Order: sequence, then structure tokens, then C-alpha cells
Amino acid sequence: MERLTQLASHLTTAKGVSAIKQKNADDVVIVAAYRTALTKGGKGLFKDTASEDLLIGLVKGLLAKTPNFDPKLIEDVAIGNVLNGGAGAFEHRAAMLAAGIPYSAAFLAINRQCSSGLIAVNDIANKILTGQIDVGLAGGVESMSKNYGPKNAPQFSDLLLRDKEAVKCGIPMGITNENVAEKYTIDRATQDAFAAASYNKAERAVSQGLFKDEIIPLQVTIEVDNDSEDDEADDTIKKTVTVDTDEGPRAGVTAASLGKIKAAFKKDGTTHAGNASQISDGAGAVLLMRRSVAIKHGLPIVGKYVATSAVGVPPEIMGVGPAYAIPHVLAQAGISTSDVAVYEINEAFAAQALFCIEHLGLDKSKVNPRGGAIALGHPLGATGARQIATILRELKTGEIGVTSMCIGTGMGAAAVFVKE
Amino acid sequence: MLSFRTTGYNGYGVKYSPFYDNKLAVATAANYGLVGNGRLYILSINNDGSISSDTHYDTQDGLFDIAWSETHENQCVAASGDGSIKLFDVQVGQFPVMNWHEHQREVFSVNWNMVDKTNFVSASWDGSIKIWLPNRQQSLLTLSPEVDYTTMASPVAATAKGPAVPLSNKTTTNTTQTCIYQAVFSPHSPSVVVSAHANSHVMIWDLRAPHPLQLDYVAHGGLETLTIDWNKYRSAVIASSGVDKSVKVWDTRMIESVQPSASAPMPSFHNASPAPLNQFMGHEFAVRRISWSPHDGASLLSCSYDMSCRVWQDHMDDKARFLGARRMGPLQCTGVFGNHREFVIGCDWSMWGEPGWCVSTGWDEMVYVWDTPNKQA
Repeated sequence: MERLTQLASHLTTAKGVSAIKQKNADDVVIVAAYRTALTKGGKGLFKDTASEDLLIGLVKGLLAKTPNFDPKLIEDVAIGNVLNGGAGAFEHRAAMLAAGIPYSAAFLAINRQCSSGLIAVNDIANKILTGQIDVGLAGGVESMSKNYGPKNAPQFSDLLLRDKEAVKCGIPMGITNENVAEKYTIDRATQDAFAAASYNKAERAVSQGLFKDEIIPLQVTIEVDNDSEDDEADDTIKKTVTVDTDEGPRAGVTAASLGKIKAAFKKDGTTHAGNASQISDGAGAVLLMRRSVAIKHGLPIVGKYVATSAVGVPPEIMGVGPAYAIPHVLAQAGISTSDVAVYEINEAFAAQALFCIEHLGLDKSKVNPRGGAIALGHPLGATGARQIATILRELKTGEIGVTSMCIGTGMGAAAVFVKE
Repeated sequence: MLSFRTTGYNGYGVKYSPFYDNKLAVATAANYGLVGNGRLYILSINNDGSISSDTHYDTQDGLFDIAWSETHENQCVAASGDGSIKLFDVQVGQFPVMNWHEHQREVFSVNWNMVDKTNFVSASWDGSIKIWLPNRQQSLLTLSPEVDYTTMASPVAATAKGPAVPLSNKTTTNTTQTCIYQAVFSPHSPSVVVSAHANSHVMIWDLRAPHPLQLDYVAHGGLETLTIDWNKYRSAVIASSGVDKSVKVWDTRMIESVQPSASAPMPSFHNASPAPLNQFMGHEFAVRRISWSPHDGASLLSCSYDMSCRVWQDHMDDKARFLGARRMGPLQCTGVFGNHREFVIGCDWSMWGEPGWCVSTGWDEMVYVWDTPNKQA
């Protein structure tokens, strides 16, 4: 029915696959998307690196990888972050200056929990779409080593604690996942099998070097125990290391090996360290601009930003977020689940990710083909930007990709991109 | 108003004979042209005001356009959905006398050269324009816009070197963007063709030039350009229309050429749409066909998916454009023909009849012959 489609295009404003693959001068396009390696929180190679230092290295690296790009063109920077005080408004603005972005570029710190990196991209893209700016940098960063801990536990007032609904926002994430697993009867074996698959996919991707292109290697100093016999010596010494590989993936994980781990949140629960996302440090950054500007400056275009949606879901089962955000954003783009070649759905926990995949009826081979947060890690504010860097390398030219994640306190976010 | 019903077949193209004042050819297709057969009707307007079918030809696929021969009063060519072009002789029954099959997709327009009279041009959804002689088995010439289709609004013509665009994707799978909807010979020059493209472009070609593409610009802001026509009295003036619902009148002299010249050695390209001379707003849906009057350099006929035909008067004085005649001048739309009950796809002016008469056809299976009101506006 090609003929019908052609004639229908005369009557409708272009929608659907052909419309979003169209290349128009006023599109928002991605010129560069990079990330740091993701390291283990508290013990990985970034354990002594502040979030701002991760950003400096990443943004410097991104600019170096885009040699024709003049950072003076950047009009606004949005960086997502969850755990820093004020989402890092001070230190990340300063980091931009240190990374070589002129002071003339405005700065915005964004926190929508685990989607912050994506929402930063959404914010910059919207500003480009409305004509407010031409070029912007978006990203996310998290040092869970430095900032994750009891101080980030929600402090609710008595009024909130007495409110039946409001108090649900304070439910620990692990418990929300137990709720999802219980409500939708997802047993532990299925979850462990899913988690093992994530590890295996990530291990394969690492061994094939699939992440090499998206990772900007960073040189950082790390404190290590001093093995010297000399009693006078300090307990620790500083060492400079180059970090260019994800620490999360490990070889030979099977559902059976994960089956031995004790449940973490409930005595008879199903969620444990092996089928939940890892605590990680890392950062991601995405350079966006209007297509006409990219063409004018002769910059490479790696992808097109199409749409983003964020929706609310019940806080006590916040993990179902992607199951509702993805249909919302697909409807906005006028496409269906089968038009999408690759989904990057953040694996906060195996049960919630499984529910979302089942609920949407997605082909499992299309979801997180390079492993998800269970294997790679989930540096909260950085994840949204990390997924974009990954999916743009997984997609083939002309294919459509969707990134999505669940969000604490009950939300889901999803975005559509086209690889060019 | 006279009418004829093409029962079971939805009208796509209609043309008055250039030899007889009462003969019409109508290209039609079953099932709205989406799938199924086509039929070419040859109609006569009788003295009593009735319209009768002299003959008709059935084809395997829908017929989308028709052009009468300028040299042979009984011959016409039809554009078919299967990529073929068929030459029919009214006095030879049942089958076409010639059949050309070179286009890879639907042929959407055919147009006979009114100056040279020996050849005709076809435009197809396969993205090519072909020039044909009725007595030759193969096409004479194929024109393909070798344009960088990776951007719709910033074309880089084959003959012009645009900005270095390191776009990673040169092979777009979006075939709808390459469709050509119409190609029309200039009534002033035997070798100049203008074409309307799905990627919003209008292109002017000179068949004599080693690089035939002479002019290339975005006419309708990125939306598909569906139809185009030359003004019969002002040789540099064309009109185009399409999905953006507006009819735009252009002076081709005011649009920069894509050819490098001595005065402008750097090849130029158009980043933005140039300004039209005049613009007619009124149709509520995409416009499918426009035609300048053969009797009056100011009158233009258009037909649209909004089920109406409209007659427009282009009274822009191009010597005094600053006077803002667009706002202050006389009424632009001088007639609306609203009898069609479905999309109106084809229309044409009567050449030999009383000036102002025209014909239209559409998906309601109707052919209407009607007089445009207010023709001396």
C-alpha cells in the first residue's frame, strides 16, 4: 500500500516512521555522545574522584573528539545529578569552565532522579526546538562513592508521614521492586536468569570492545593502601590510573550462581545484589544542536532527537515506569513498538525491567543488547546520558532507538532517537 | 455546467483536446487508484449539453495523467501506476499503439511539448523525469535530480558544491522523498521543463545544457510540491502548489541559478525558500493540480483535496511589488467550484471553447465541465 501511504501524506502532517526519519533543517540532532567508564561505587577506580572532576574529564574529552566544534557556540548546559547538594549547581557550573566551555554558556542543574541525564537532554532539545538556543550540551554525572549514603535518605515531615499516599514516596527502591515482583508474580529464578543474561551480554560487549568508542578514558588519582614495610610511611599512597573500562561486567555469571545470593530487602524477597543495578560512578554527555547549525559548521551528525516523555506511576511500584512512559513517547512520535530497533531500558532491578518488557510485549533480543544496569552499573544522574551514548552505537543508520528508565517516587521517562 | 460519470473509476487526470473544442480525455483508476485497473475515457461534449463517451480503454493498472498529442489529433499518452506510459490512438480500438516501460514506479504525470510538438515528458515516483518521442521505443533522455536528499531544506545540487556536509547517512531509505509529481514543458521554449518534487523542491531543467538542472529551490517550506505550471503569457513566471495548501507564483528570474557564472563564480545553493511573487491562500487541504489559463495571463485554476476547484487572479504588478498589491489589490479568488463530492485531482482549461470554461475530475467519479465565474475580473 505504498500508494496509499504516499497519498495519505498529502493530507496529514507527516507522522510516523517516515516522518521521524525525515531530515529537516530545524531538527534537533546529536553531534557527539560520550560517557566515562562506569566504576564500582566505593571501591572502583573513581572512588576518589569527585563528580565535578568526572565531568571535567568527560567534557574535555568530548570537545577533543569533536575537533571542528567551537565551544563558544554552546549557549546552555544542563547537567543531571541526583546526589550532590543542589544537584551540583555550583560545582558542575565550575566544572564546565574548567573543561573549556566559556562562561557565556549558561548552566542548569537538573534532578529528576534516575532520569536526570535524559531530562537534561530533553531540556536542551526543547530549548533548541523552540528557538531559544541553537546549541547546547546536556549530560549527567554521579559519584555514588562520594555522595551515596544515609544523608540522601528522604527526610519527610510529620504531615507527609501521616499522609497515606505521600509516605509511599519514601519506600526504599528495593522494596518497590519486591512489590512489583509480588504484584505481577515474577519469581526469583526468572529474575536471576534475566540478570545473568544482562551480565553475559555486557561481558560479550566488553570482550568485543563495543564500548571503546563511547568511553572517554579519564586519568584520575586514587588512594591505595601502602604496602610498604616502613612504619613511618603513610597508610595510603596516591596513584594515577587511566580508567577506560567498565568495572561492572563480570565473566561467567549464571542464573545458578546468582541463585546463591541472599535477598537484600526482605527475608523471603527476590531482590538481591546480583539482580539489581550496581552502585556506580560515572558520567555521560550529549552535544545537541539544530541540524542547520550542524550543517553550517560542518559537524558530523550521529543521531536525531525525536521526543521525550515522562509519566507518573504509583510510587510503591515505581519500577513499572518504562511500561507507561514508552507507549506515551511512541504515541507522540506516531510509531509502534515494532518500529523500534533497539530499546535501552534501565535495569534498576530485574523484576521491574522484566515487567516492562512483558507488559509492552517487546522482543527480548531488542532490549539492552549490550547489557543493562545490572551488569554495567547505574550511576543515577548519569544513566540517561549513558544510555544515549550506548544506543547510538548499537543502532544502525536509519534505525530508531528508545531509551527509558524508571524513576524513584513513581515515574517513568522514555525518549526516541534516530541513528543517522 | 455539464457532467459525466466515470462509473466505477475515480478520476485522476483530464485534458481538453488541442484539436477539437468538444473532446476530452480522462485518466481514471479503480479503487481510488490504490490498487486495480485503470480506464482512459475519450469524451465528447455534444451540442445538446450532454457528454458521451466515444470510447474507452481498460488498462492493468490505474491511470494517473493524460496528455494529448500536439501533432496527431487522435493520439494521447497516459501515465500508468505500473510505471508504464501508453500511447492510445482513438481510432485504434482496445489496445495502446505504443507502450513504454522504463519507469520503476508510478508515472504520475505526462505533458506534451507545446512548442516542439514532437516530444513529451513524464515524471515518476521513481525520482526520474524522462523525455520521449512517440515513435521511438526508448526514452530520449532521463533527468534525475542528483541532489543530496539528506536534508530537505538545504539542497546541494549536482552541479553546485554546497557546504561540506559530513552527514553520516547518504542513503536514506525514505523513498517518499524522491517522488516527482509533475513535469511540464515550457510553452515558451522547446527545451525547458519544470518539475515538482516530493521533497518540496521545484526544479527547472534545460535539455540542451550539459548539466540540465538550471534552477532548484525549496518552494513549499519542506512540504511536498505536488503540482506546477508555466504561465502562458509571462515566460519567466511559474506557479506551484502542494501540501502546504498555498498556490505560489514565482518569477524564475528572481531565483538564483544553481549554475556558477562569471559574475558569481562560487556555485550557489538555496538555504531557504526564496520569496514568491504572489501567494494564493484559500484551499483547505493539499492542492493536487494547477493550471494557468490559456486565454488570460492572470487566471489560474486549482483543484484540491478539499473537494473544490478555485479560480485565482494574479494581479501582482511585478514592476510595483512594493505597493503591496497582495493586500490592497482586487480579490484574488474569483471563483469556487464546489460540486465535487470527493477529492478533486485533475483540472484543465478549455482551449478552443469560450474562454473561461474548464473541466475537472476527481474521486467522486465525476467529470464536470463548467464556466468560471467572473472571468474578466
